[in-house]
Amino acid sequence: MNLTLPPIIAVLLFPGGLFLLGSGLFFEYLDRKLVARFQNRIGPRWFQPLADFFKLLAKEEVIPAGTIQSLFILLPIVALAAALTAAMCVPLFGLKPFANYNGNLVVTLYLLSMMTLCIGLAGANTKDRFSIVGATRALTQLFSYEAPFLLALLGPAIVLGTWNISEINSTAGQSMWFILAQPIGFVAALIGLMGKLELPPFDAPEAETEIVAGALTEYSGRGFALFRIGRDVELVVGLTLIASFYLGGFSNPLDFLWKTALLLLVTAALQSLFARLRIDQTVGLWWRVGTILVMAQFVLIILGRTLAPVIAPLLGG
Amino acid sequence: MIPEKFVVPIGPQHPALKEPGHFEFTVDGEIVTNATARLGFVHRGMEKGAEDRTWAQDLYLMERVCGICSHVHAMAFALGVEKLAKVQAPPRAQAIREVIAELERIHSHLLWLGVAAHEGGFDTLFMFSWRDREIVMDLLEAISGNRVNYSANVLGGVKIDISEKQADEVRRGLDQLEVRTAHYMKVVTEDETFLGRTRNIGLMSFEEATLLGAIGPTGRASGVLRDVRVDSPYAGYPEFPVKIITSEAGDLEARFVVRINELYESYRVIREILDHMPAGDLTVRVPRRIPEGETISRVEAPRGELLYFLKSNGSEKPERVKVRTPSLCNWASVLTTAVGHKLADMPMILAGIDPCFSCNDRMVVLQDRSGTQTWDWERLRQYGIEYYK
Repeated sequence: MNLTLPPIIAVLLFPGGLFLLGSGLFFEYLDRKLVARFQNRIGPRWFQPLADFFKLLAKEEVIPAGTIQSLFILLPIVALAAALTAAMCVPLFGLKPFANYNGNLVVTLYLLSMMTLCIGLAGANTKDRFSIVGATRALTQLFSYEAPFLLALLGPAIVLGTWNISEINSTAGQSMWFILAQPIGFVAALIGLMGKLELPPFDAPEAETEIVAGALTEYSGRGFALFRIGRDVELVVGLTLIASFYLGGFSNPLDFLWKTALLLLVTAALQSLFARLRIDQTVGLWWRVGTILVMAQFVLIILGRTLAPVIAPLLGG
Repeated sequence: MIPEKFVVPIGPQHPALKEPGHFEFTVDGEIVTNATARLGFVHRGMEKGAEDRTWAQDLYLMERVCGICSHVHAMAFALGVEKLAKVQAPPRAQAIREVIAELERIHSHLLWLGVAAHEGGFDTLFMFSWRDREIVMDLLEAISGNRVNYSANVLGGVKIDISEKQADEVRRGLDQLEVRTAHYMKVVTEDETFLGRTRNIGLMSFEEATLLGAIGPTGRASGVLRDVRVDSPYAGYPEFPVKIITSEAGDLEARFVVRINELYESYRVIREILDHMPAGDLTVRVPRRIPEGETISRVEAPRGELLYFLKSNGSEKPERVKVRTPSLCNWASVLTTAVGHKLADMPMILAGIDPCFSCNDRMVVLQDRSGTQTWDWERLRQYGIEYYK
C-alpha cells in the first residue's frame, strides 16, 4: 500500500513512534493471553501491558551503588531507540517503510541485536550476582542464535537478489512462499526470534527460579519499563520481518495482521510446549543442529543460483 | 593467590523458594563447586509451645506444623498419645485415617509435580498439575470440610465419617485423576526437553543415599527400600497394605517416576479401603491425663519418614514433644549431589527432595559482632521457660 505521510508523522505517530508502541503492547497482550490460554489460565485483560507500563513509569527508579550511573540510565533508552529505529526499515502494517534503501536488511538486523547487547551491558554494569550471571547468559545466547538467524533471513534475500526489505516484501509473494521453498530457514528465523526476545524455552538469561530476573534484576521503574516496551517493539518488528520474508509478504494492514497473528500463535504454542533449556543446551541446539542445517540450506541456495543459468538451457533447451 | 569465589545466593527471599531458606552456591562459570544451606528463618517454637498446652490442644497445634501434610502430623501425634494411653482407635477410624493420609499424599505429590516443573521452567505442566490437584482438594473438602487443615483426628479416633455417597464421590474423583496421572507419566518420561533437564541430573547412587540417610521418595528413587507404611505399618496399613515403590536410577527423572507411581498405589489402596470399609465406632475414650512414659511414633509423610517423640509425666500436658520432619533428613543429599552440576539445575535438584522449610527449623543461632553463638538445649529450655512465664 502506498500511503505518503509527512516524515515527521511517519516517524513519531503512524506507523512508527506512538502507534508502534501501542501495537507492541497489543502484541504483548496477545502473546500473554495466548500462552495463558494454552496453560489453562485466564490470562490478562487487554489493557494489562499498558497498565504495567504506566505503573513502572510512575515508580521510583533505584540506581544501585557501584554502577556507572550514566550507563545505567542510558542503556534502556538506547535499547528502545534501536528497536524503534529498526522499525523504520520494515513495512509495518503493509505500508512502505520510511527508510527505504538497498541494504537496510543488514542495518535492521544489527539494530535488532542492540537490545541484547544493551541488556548484556546493563547486567554487567551492576554488581548484582544474578545480573552478572544473567548478562553472561544473554550474551552467550546472542552468539548462539545470531548467526543462524542472520543466515535464515538472508536466504530469501539471496534468492530475490535484493537486500532491501521493502522490495523483498513486495516480491516474496510472486512465486512460491518461502516458508515452503526454505522451511529450515523459516523455522530458524522464528526460533531465532524467540531466542532474541528471551521467550520460553529460551529464557535461561532471565530464568526466575535461578537468577531472579537475570540481567535486569537491578532495574526498576523507568529503565525496566523502557526495556520491556523495547522488547515489545522488537517482537512486532521481528514478526513483521519473518512474515514479509517467509509468508509471502503483505501489502495491506489486514494481510499484515493475520500473518503476524498466525506467527504469534505458533510462538505462543512453542512457548508453552517445552521446559526451559539450560544455556548449554541452547548453545548446543543452535550450533550442533540449527547452524549446520541453515548453512546447508544457504549453500544449496547459492549453488542453485549459480548453477541455474548453466543448467536451465540444458534442460529447457 | 586463591581465585576470588563467586557465590550465588539463593534465598532467604528468592523466586525459586516459596518458603525462606538460604543456600549459597559457589560457582565456577555455570558449574557449582560448593553448596551450603542455612535454615532457621521460620522457626516458630512449636515444640516449646506444645509443652504449654494440654494433649488435646496440642493436636490442633501439630496439625499446623505443615500446611501441606497436616494430617500426617496430627495422625503421628494421635497414634503416639494412644500408644502412651494404651488405647487403640477402632478399625473404622484407622481406615479413615489411612484414606485421608493417602488423599493427602496425592495432593502433596501433585503439588510437588507442579513446583518441580516450574523450577525447570515448564510452566504448562505446573498449571495443569495444579488444576488437577483441585480435584483431590475438593474431595478432601467434601469429606472434612476443609481444604488444608483437614482436622480429621481426635485422640482415640477420627471425628469425621465417610458416607457411601462421599465414597462414590471419591471414586469418581480418583477415576478422573488416574487418567490425568497417566498423562503426566507420559510427559515426564517422554518429553524431550523435560528429560534434558531431569535424566542423569542430580544422580545419587544407592550407597550415597544410604550414607546420607535419604528417606522418602528421594531415597526410594535411589533404591533405598524404606517406607514406614511397609516397614512398620500403623493406622489402617496392616489391613490395607501398600506396595513399596522404588527405582534404581537415582536421578531426578526417577524421583518423578517414583512419586507418580506412588500416586497409582494411593488410588488403588483408597479404592480398596472404600470397598471394604470396616464398620463400627469412630472413637474410643482417651484419658485426660496421659500415663507417665515415653514413646516414638513413626508415620510415612509424603516426603518420607516423620518421627514424633512424646514424653509424658502423667499430667494433662506433655513433658516433651519432639518432631523430626522428613525434609531435614534429605538436605545432605541436596548439598552433596549439587556439586558438579550446572547452576541452572540447582532449583530442580533443590525441589527434587520436595523440601519443606517451616517444619524443620529448630536451632537458634545468635549472631553478634564477636561471632556466632550457638545455644544448647539446656539454655534454650531455660530461655523458653523464662519467656513463657
